[in-house]
Amino acid sequence: MSNLLTYISVNDGKIKRSSLEVLSRCNEIAEKNGKTSSAIVISDDCSTIVENLKSYGPSVIYTIEDPIFKNHLNTPLLKALTLAMSEINPDVMAFASTEGSKDILGALAANRNAAALADVSEFDWTGDAVTAKRPVMASKIISSVETKGSPVILTVRSGSYDTVEKSGESKVQSIPFTFDKNELKLTLKEIISATGDKVDLSEAETVIAAGRGVKDEEGRKLIDELAAVLNAGIGASRALTESGDYDPSLQIGQTGKVVSPQLYIAVGISGAIQHVAGMANSKVIVAINKDPDAPIFEIADYGLVGDLYKILPPFIDELKKIKG
Amino acid sequence: MKFYVCIKQVPDVNAPLQIKEGELIQDANRNILNAYDASAVEEALVLKEAHGGEIEVVLIGPDKASETIRKALAMGADSGSHILTEGSEEFDSFSYAKILAEFFKDKEYQYIFCGKQSQDTDSGLTGSMLAEFLDLPYATNAVGLQLEGENLIVKRQGDTGQEMIELPAPSLVTCSNDMNDPRIPSLKGIMQSKRKPVNTIAVSDLKNGLTNGSIKTSVVGYEEKPKREPGKKYEGEPDEIAKEVAQLLDSAENVI
Amino acid sequence: MDEKFDCIIVGAGVAGLAAAMTLARNNMKFLLIEKGEFPGSKNVSGGVLWGSDLAKLVPNYWEEDAGWDRFINHRRLTFMDDQSTFSVDFKSSHFNQTPYTGVVVLRSKFDRWLAEKVEEAIAESDYAMDSFIATNILVEEVLMEDGKAVGIRTGEEKFYADSVIIAEGVNNLLTRQVGLQDSYVPADHMLTGIKEIIRFDQNVLEDRFQLNGRSGMSNEFVGFATDGVEGGGFLYTNKDTLSLGLVLGLKDLREKGKKPYDILNTFKKHPVISDMIQGGEVVEYSAHIVSSGDKRVMPKKLHTHGLVVCGEAANLLMNAGKAIQGMDYAMRSGILAAETIVENKKTDDFSESAMKKYQNRLDDSYVMKDINNFQDAVHLLHDPVMTQKIPNLICDFGRNFFSIKNEPTKKAREMMSDSIKEHASYWELLKLGVKGGKAL
Ligand SMILES: Cc1cc2nc3c(=O)[nH]c(=O)nc-3n(C[C@H](O)[C@H](O)[C@H](O)COP(=O)(O)OP(=O)(O)OC[C@H]3O[C@@H](n4cnc5c(N)ncnc54)[C@H](O)[C@@H]3O)c2cc1C
Ligand SMILES: Cc1cc2nc3c(=O)[nH]c(=O)nc-3n(C[C@H](O)[C@H](O)[C@H](O)COP(=O)(O)OP(=O)(O)OC[C@H]3O[C@@H](n4cnc5c(N)ncnc54)[C@H](O)[C@@H]3O)c2cc1C
Ligand SMILES: Nc1ncnc2c1ncn2[C@@H]1O[C@H](COP(=O)(O)O)[C@@H](O)[C@H]1O
Repeated sequence: MSNLLTYISVNDGKIKRSSLEVLSRCNEIAEKNGKTSSAIVISDDCSTIVENLKSYGPSVIYTIEDPIFKNHLNTPLLKALTLAMSEINPDVMAFASTEGSKDILGALAANRNAAALADVSEFDWTGDAVTAKRPVMASKIISSVETKGSPVILTVRSGSYDTVEKSGESKVQSIPFTFDKNELKLTLKEIISATGDKVDLSEAETVIAAGRGVKDEEGRKLIDELAAVLNAGIGASRALTESGDYDPSLQIGQTGKVVSPQLYIAVGISGAIQHVAGMANSKVIVAINKDPDAPIFEIADYGLVGDLYKILPPFIDELKKIKG
Repeated sequence: MKFYVCIKQVPDVNAPLQIKEGELIQDANRNILNAYDASAVEEALVLKEAHGGEIEVVLIGPDKASETIRKALAMGADSGSHILTEGSEEFDSFSYAKILAEFFKDKEYQYIFCGKQSQDTDSGLTGSMLAEFLDLPYATNAVGLQLEGENLIVKRQGDTGQEMIELPAPSLVTCSNDMNDPRIPSLKGIMQSKRKPVNTIAVSDLKNGLTNGSIKTSVVGYEEKPKREPGKKYEGEPDEIAKEVAQLLDSAENVI
Repeated sequence: MDEKFDCIIVGAGVAGLAAAMTLARNNMKFLLIEKGEFPGSKNVSGGVLWGSDLAKLVPNYWEEDAGWDRFINHRRLTFMDDQSTFSVDFKSSHFNQTPYTGVVVLRSKFDRWLAEKVEEAIAESDYAMDSFIATNILVEEVLMEDGKAVGIRTGEEKFYADSVIIAEGVNNLLTRQVGLQDSYVPADHMLTGIKEIIRFDQNVLEDRFQLNGRSGMSNEFVGFATDGVEGGGFLYTNKDTLSLGLVLGLKDLREKGKKPYDILNTFKKHPVISDMIQGGEVVEYSAHIVSSGDKRVMPKKLHTHGLVVCGEAANLLMNAGKAIQGMDYAMRSGILAAETIVENKKTDDFSESAMKKYQNRLDDSYVMKDINNFQDAVHLLHDPVMTQKIPNLICDFGRNFFSIKNEPTKKAREMMSDSIKEHASYWELLKLGVKGGKAL
């Protein structure tokens, strides 16, 4: 019997690091408690993913393959997961927290009559209840939660656990699946891809985030330059995704993405709690802001007080020098 | 056309908070309309203004939460249903969705709008749970909505890009606050809201759908998030402080 | 909706809420408009609400856990120099009886609670569906027709009423718009109030300040607290927090080039203060203008055809050293304004002379009597001798008086005269003594 099951999120044919973090945690819990930890891949093409997954040693790698999974759509994904859960019967079904998994988490839990926990930053399971921690109140408070009954479905914030490779045989088992277009209650009309570059924010080691202080083309150029020097992902505050200056998928915060890079540089961002909710777990935080009382300075390790247009050019120059 | 918007009263996360004996205490007991739900109401209003129809808001909450229903009515919703709780129960998203499902069982509607998440708990579950219980097509995290005939064209925010999805009616959508700026009620709106009908229903009348096992998650405690130690502020010549910090990021932090 | 109200009140602070409660209880149809998101959201101050008018508005409020924090039965006036404090301290179980004569309130909580009580009163009135409290609405203009106030405008919307009560607080733009006050008020008569809310474990706070149940303490400070700037300091015990702050003369601050926040920080580092606040966590910081209570800046008149001004919009405030009284004046003037309108409604007469009855009521009340009687004390408190020399002198005396050294001890009188020699001249003191004697 399989006890813990991790859903493997795939982006552009690549496994998302955050789902490997979840799998690593499930492996650890399984080992500690004498349970098993398996993984499931649902994709239009599973083969390479399965191969890459083997170094993380899940006992079984389940696959559901169908062309319908080329793009994210909740109806087929939900059907596949419902099917998988009824066949595999896991006690704990874990996802990395992504827009894709959040889209189906509630519906899947409703369908399976399961307890659901979204966006946990820690979780544990001893075979009885799942206990977990969740940031609440715009991440000012951590709540400890407990589930009743089985199964339990949860999503885990990226950066909550390290990825740990594991040796061991992984059995691969495909679950037969058919999907009739008529079952599709909705239609996907169009996909509007992000215009920003493809560094996945939740996986980036360094994130440069632009806020309202970045007023114009010149400012955005400085951000691009800085990101290029540091090989960083670019994010933005709501002020700039709302204005259309940055792609909405780059928004960091309560409504947007949660990131926890090694280095976070907030440029012209005031530090509203809803923004901070998405980046407070960064290892080193640098803030550039001309207002010495901006709340961002309360959490910044390095607070540069001044005009970003004057600070960024020498900052970039110096970084270039250091980088050789 | 009938729009339903599920709205929730939530504590204002901007108000000072503290934890006392494991309970979360909000000094001023300040509660507001969940920001994401305000966006859902706004979106319904815009669609109604363009295409006609009627908007009803639904809220599960204690007596005091009626002020939140008034707020939505003052924005322009036509009527409200208040599913009144006694205040002792601790519902989770699953049980809220069950109660709502029971409420909607015998209702006629084209659209149900929810917020994409509660501002206080950030769960983001109730909407899609309700859709599943009611067997409705749904889309979450909407950032744009249009009507084509009776079909909703939803722009939803995905991980890397956006997806345009068409939903036949009846359907359910959960709304992001990125889709609009909710209007602030006008004085006339506030005055009219008092005369708009609000139907009160005891939660016990909708507990059919609730079984013993319906409350599946519970909060066992709260702790304050460990504060980050504020670091150092660098004020002075831009050239100098920029250089200094850049070097420290290399030498002291080793992060570049 | 072209209905007309009996009254429109602008501002849901203490004054506006007191007026609204009075109108609701008297079955009037009214509109109370507040620009903040909720009543109290803009009212950061808080402090002690003196007197017992609250019991008139909300009988037996003390039986409720909400709204107010503690009643005052312990008062202290402290003179301080840079290292010492010398206090006059009075505590009495006399003050333990209801109705209390002073309760500490935090305005963001109190105003909201009082607004809920007003809502309840509206619901029980004849105009349950027609009287409103509307928040998040800014009144931009009082509508005047032929010198008569007829309503208000907010954005594009206009609303009409027989009467208007302006209860907009110290920044009285509308009072100026209708011409009751000059549009320019010199900064010499304005102070800035800054305050921190410092949180403790409730038991720690109660032990430290010897609080029992809901009893509380208020402490005023003169001297070093303001770092040479005209003004004073205050400390109030709330339920599980302290309000600690300063009021500082705007003009003096500007002239001395000092920043309020820096002064507050120095104040907090004073050895005596730092002992009091040790272990607490600052959870809120706020700043607000407060009037000096100088009669010279009061509006020329507090009424005109169809309109009255109450609370701090009318500059009703007193700070004569022993306490800041603003909220109690606001409350009483709000009640009196509403009572005038209730009376005028009976004859449907809102003319200038009918509205003047408000002024008369106010003149007859303790509010104007105290303001008139204590003007000299108000001026005295702004005397630099009072903010620097006297506190230094008193502390110096205290240090000598309470020091026991192994050498012959001087008589207290000698010690006093030594201290005077060091810190002020007899002449200055004499002048002050004469002034003070007259003032009090
Ligand atoms: C329910 C809810 C959810 C939300 N979710 C999010 C979210 O996910 N992400 C998010 O970011 N926000 C979110 N917000 C919005 C958030 O509250 C803030 O409004 C937003 O983060 C502000 O963005 P900002 O800091 O860029 O802009 P501002 O707050 O306007 O700050 C701009 C800063 O730039 C500085 N500045 C200006 N010019 C310069 C210059 N030349 N040099 C240096 N500094 C300069 C200013 O001093 C200021 O501090 C949410 C709000 C709500 C209610
Ligand atoms: C730091 C500090 C400490 C103090 N301590 C004490 C104390 O211990 N005891 C005491 O008695 N007093 C104290 N005061 C003074 C007291 O706070 C004021 O005197 C009192 O609040 C005046 O009440 P009010 O109702 O007249 O005005 P406010 O309380 O200022 O209320 C006015 C209301 O009108 C609203 N408003 C203004 N203009 C408009 C408009 N155009 N449209 C709609 N709404 C509008 C405002 O948002 C506000 O809510 C203190 C003041 C300060 C600054
Ligand atoms: N008590 C409630 N009453 C009405 N709607 C609710 C309630 N709780 C949750 N919802 C809806 O579900 C959304 C949030 O779900 P969740 O984040 O799971 O709490 C809200 O934005 C509402 O639309």
